Amino acid sequence: MPALFRPRHNVMARLSLLVLGGGAAAGTLGVLGYQRTPMARGMQDPIEQPIQFDHRHHTRDEGIDCRFCHTTVERSPHAGLPSTQLCLNCHSQIWNQSPLLEPVRRSFIEGKPIVWQKVNDVPDFVYFNHSIHVSKGVGCVTCHGRVDQMPAVQKAHTLTMSWCLDCHKNPAPNLRPTEEVTNMEWQPEKGKEREVGEMLAEKNQVHTRTSCTTCHR
Amino acid sequence: MKKSMSSGPKLTSLKILGQAPKQWRSLEERAGSSDIETERRYEFPPDADTLDETSRRGFIHLMGASLALTGAACTRPNQKVVPYVKQPPEVTPGNALHFATAYALEGYAMGLLVDSHSGRPTKIEGNPDHPDSLGATSVYEQALPLGLYDDHRAKQLAHKGQPLAWRSFLAHIAGRGIELAKDGGAKLRFLVEPSTSPLVAELKGRVLQKFPKAKFVSFSAVASDGAAEGARLAFGKPLEARHDLTKAQVILSLDADFLTDGPEQVRLHREFSAGRTPSHDMSRLYVVEPCLTPTGTMADHRLRIRGSEVVAVAQAVLAELAKQPGLDGLSALAGLPRAQPQIRVDARWAAAAAKDLVTARGKSLVIAGRRQPAAVHALAHAMNAALGNIGTSVTFRTGVRHDALAGSEALRGLVEEIAAGGVDTLVITARNPVYGAPVDFKLDKLLSRVGETMYLALHEDETAAAVTTIVPAAHSLESWGDARGTDGTASIIQPLIAPLWSSVTEADLLAAFVGEGDRGTYQLLKTYWQRQATTQGWSTMPGFEGTWESWLSKGVIDRTAIAPETPRVDGGLTAAVGGLLSKVPAGGEIEVSFAVDHKVFDGRFANNVWLQELPHPITKITWDNAILLSRTTAKVQEIETGDIVRVEIGDRHVTGPAYIQPGHADESVTIALGYGRKGAEARGVGIGFNANLLRPSDAPWFTRGARLAKTARPRHRFGITQDHWAMEERQPAIATTLKEFESKKGEVHELIEARRRPNPVIHTPVDYSKQPYKWAMAIDLSKCSGCNACVMGCASENNTPVVGRENVRIGREMFWIRLDRYYTDKGLNDFDDDHLETITQPHMCMHCETAPCEYVCPVNATVHSDEGLNEMVYNRCIGTRYCSNNCPYKARRFNFLDYQDAISPVEKMHRNPNVTVRSRGIMEKCTYCVQRIESKRIDARVEGRAIKDGEIQTACQQVCPGGAITFGSLNDAEAKVTKLHEDERRYNLLHELNTRPRTAYLARIRNPNPELS
Repeated sequence: MPALFRPRHNVMARLSLLVLGGGAAAGTLGVLGYQRTPMARGMQDPIEQPIQFDHRHHTRDEGIDCRFCHTTVERSPHAGLPSTQLCLNCHSQIWNQSPLLEPVRRSFIEGKPIVWQKVNDVPDFVYFNHSIHVSKGVGCVTCHGRVDQMPAVQKAHTLTMSWCLDCHKNPAPNLRPTEEVTNMEWQPEKGKEREVGEMLAEKNQVHTRTSCTTCHR
Repeated sequence: MKKSMSSGPKLTSLKILGQAPKQWRSLEERAGSSDIETERRYEFPPDADTLDETSRRGFIHLMGASLALTGAACTRPNQKVVPYVKQPPEVTPGNALHFATAYALEGYAMGLLVDSHSGRPTKIEGNPDHPDSLGATSVYEQALPLGLYDDHRAKQLAHKGQPLAWRSFLAHIAGRGIELAKDGGAKLRFLVEPSTSPLVAELKGRVLQKFPKAKFVSFSAVASDGAAEGARLAFGKPLEARHDLTKAQVILSLDADFLTDGPEQVRLHREFSAGRTPSHDMSRLYVVEPCLTPTGTMADHRLRIRGSEVVAVAQAVLAELAKQPGLDGLSALAGLPRAQPQIRVDARWAAAAAKDLVTARGKSLVIAGRRQPAAVHALAHAMNAALGNIGTSVTFRTGVRHDALAGSEALRGLVEEIAAGGVDTLVITARNPVYGAPVDFKLDKLLSRVGETMYLALHEDETAAAVTTIVPAAHSLESWGDARGTDGTASIIQPLIAPLWSSVTEADLLAAFVGEGDRGTYQLLKTYWQRQATTQGWSTMPGFEGTWESWLSKGVIDRTAIAPETPRVDGGLTAAVGGLLSKVPAGGEIEVSFAVDHKVFDGRFANNVWLQELPHPITKITWDNAILLSRTTAKVQEIETGDIVRVEIGDRHVTGPAYIQPGHADESVTIALGYGRKGAEARGVGIGFNANLLRPSDAPWFTRGARLAKTARPRHRFGITQDHWAMEERQPAIATTLKEFESKKGEVHELIEARRRPNPVIHTPVDYSKQPYKWAMAIDLSKCSGCNACVMGCASENNTPVVGRENVRIGREMFWIRLDRYYTDKGLNDFDDDHLETITQPHMCMHCETAPCEYVCPVNATVHSDEGLNEMVYNRCIGTRYCSNNCPYKARRFNFLDYQDAISPVEKMHRNPNVTVRSRGIMEKCTYCVQRIESKRIDARVEGRAIKDGEIQTACQQVCPGGAITFGSLNDAEAKVTKLHEDERRYNLLHELNTRPRTAYLARIRNPNPELS
């Protein structure tokens, strides 16, 4: 009777062990890697808002500063969403018949707020504060991307903890003069990026803060 | 696992040690009980980490289900953002607003500043501008947010069980009013909560104009009629005393728990603590009391004596005073026969106290407690007058409270009228009189003889069950109103939130009787104060709006304080007191004394689970009251802690668990009021037993002739925290005398020195001096009475959950601060009640620089910040509990169950949005209020400056009435905390372990009279 297991079975056993181990490792790495992709972070999710608000038009065509609507960005943890009344300050005069703005008018008349979908969301145990970032010269564009080119606002960065920490460990490359925070197109002088960043860190008294309680309380 | 605690501790089976431990927390510990030993062998008490009632099979079911559900939970939550329609200009979403308001307990205002997050009040602080708060509060105010968001509040106006709208009710009252007015309101009565409100006073006046024969009766189950009556005896009118401890160097307390009871408690605590800094003019406190209180723990000399015998001590001290030159005015009073000649008062004690009082003449104080009868108050007033203290350490006013009397004597007249059928309409705004009224009045039965009874009810309690109409009351945080402080300073009570359920205020209900029930308290209030402002010349008519706004923002109305009077002692005092003294009960039977509870007050906070779970400042009992008695009495009666005892006086009786309290007077038991509730409030029902069932109307505080009988029922297991989280007999709380401290010699001095000198190290510790801040805390034990305000403030700020009695029993309590209470005594085998010294020590995470918890965490969930804070990272924690195991201070708390989701959505509204809510399986502990640090850091850095010393106050520090807690940066040489860390009294807890704790303690210094040592 021939042997039940042939020498090639040894190879097969070793191979299958390799495949099993490798598969488990690849699976784990795959999940971890996938979590870092734009898709997993919801960066490409289409988000339907109650009103087709177009940032391109307001910021580029009309040249309205971010802080005109996001009024509390310099003094509160939240940048603030404009109240219905703020929208109507202009839109009671212009486009006051537009059917696109019907939900805004209805909100004002009925006294019911407009419910927006949150685009850039961090977990509840993260206490992000807009005012400190803005006052230290971190521009809107750094985290939110080119909102002025977005027909509908999308998440521009992964907002993972490691993404936050990249900047918290080395903030200089992401700094700009505080008067330029809302400027979507500001760039440091070519070839002097490093010097400009370090100069700004010095000027704005930027500290690297990486202790856990900086963000988690 | 061995269920060692199941049968309760057995005192009889204890091994008696030759040498008692120096500091002990319970009788079991002192006697070296094997149960305590067993408990300490484990990191958590033996039952803490066993699953409740879950079989292995059930466990696997649950595990399988939860594994399956994890797969289903992988969708991203869809978050919404909702902006305002019209944003109020003062609101910045994300930043809290602070509003000044007040809370009236027993009628007196406590000025408050309330944090409001997007219109949701979450945290109470004291108003520094208010004369009775000075920036701190008591436990009761700290627990207010939970009382506001109480899902069990009365919600529906109902007439004979039928729901009714407020407008229909107003029409009903109007109709009723026409009928009542026919005979001038002769059958209309109001049973009201004691009040100082100027608006309510005006409304009462207007009601009486319309119904001249109607009557208002104030009632509170814990009213201090002895004080009013005593002042009337002494000065001819019922003046209200207000004390000033900044001007008192020697204080004799006659059963006055002035640090944790009464409307003056917060201010008096601040003033008393300020006088306890060791120096030549440090104050000295003599306390006479039946049961140990927080004030008693601060005493330099304490006498334990039955409550009705305090008068004997008062007489003895007075007699000694009369012997002193210049005090012969007291000789007539001293000549009165002793009320209780059989009581032997320690003559040396009385003489020493008297001598001290005289030495500090004009700067001394005799203060009598709320429970003491008129005679004791009158004697105290006479002594203060003779010592020249009137006008300095005690001042007198009239007109702060509407009615001087609000106790059982005030109620008696009304009860007789009802019994005689003379009352047809009764309006009740007093808090739960059916529960709190003396038992012999049988108020619940009597109410059925009244045609219509209307009750302004915060809860559907015992009284609500006995009335015809329930009118839901608005909580203080949702009402407009006004109230005066103890010096008469008025404050506007402004609402922080619109009423959660349709409800009205007392002013609305009274206004309904003059046809203005639909105006709303705001209009009534503003009209009243506008008239005041213009008639008093405080503001012009058009300028009133600005004046009103300034009152609201400051929280007090300037120039409304009532000037003190300088009363003269009435000539008839001696005769009157003599008459009273002849009626003092004598005899040796067991006495029952009733105590205002340190947690639920008179029962009005019984549904507040924060207060229920708060360990009692002395007994450390949670979720219960008990029959407290001394060890000697317990031995005579053969009672042990936990025994269910029946207390009988005549035909009245209650049954409850006994608890042996060190330092309690013999032949006497103390029972806290406010428990054994039977209303529909759900949470407070079934907790403890109702001591009011023993309270007769003629002796509301101390009643003689009780018999104690042990029942055969199994022992009660208290949810008691006193032996939890022990630090193994290392004498953690150091106390010494001023003399010994100043000599810089002796055992205690060496102990302090040993606990502050640098430890030898084998590696260089991390240097934090280059960091911008080095956060640290200092706790001065000389200033801490263990009042619990810090515990409650911490729970409110940091969203710590409540776990319930069952979970407390097995050591799962979650409060981040625990107030350790240690006893020391001079006895050997048996402890010595008469030489008992008590010390309390607030205890939370020490933020060790070399923290033992950090080395053992497998997932780096507890790490150090660059500034030396010991951080707890909830989202990393996997719940191994190794950190807690390795923490020598036992400062960590573990979420054994999902406590946070066990409450209703309304109740969740009290939460602080700046602190993560922890779920099951997460370790947590004190963070030094890191959310406050980071928020101030951001403010400072946005403004481009450094954080100033004192700018950050931790929640416990801010609320502390004694000012015992200081927080700041050690890198600031001028900071208060740095100075305290350099203080001679400073020591580190468990210093020998070289944990380098950032929290340092300052030893308590007592100032005993050398003549009594």
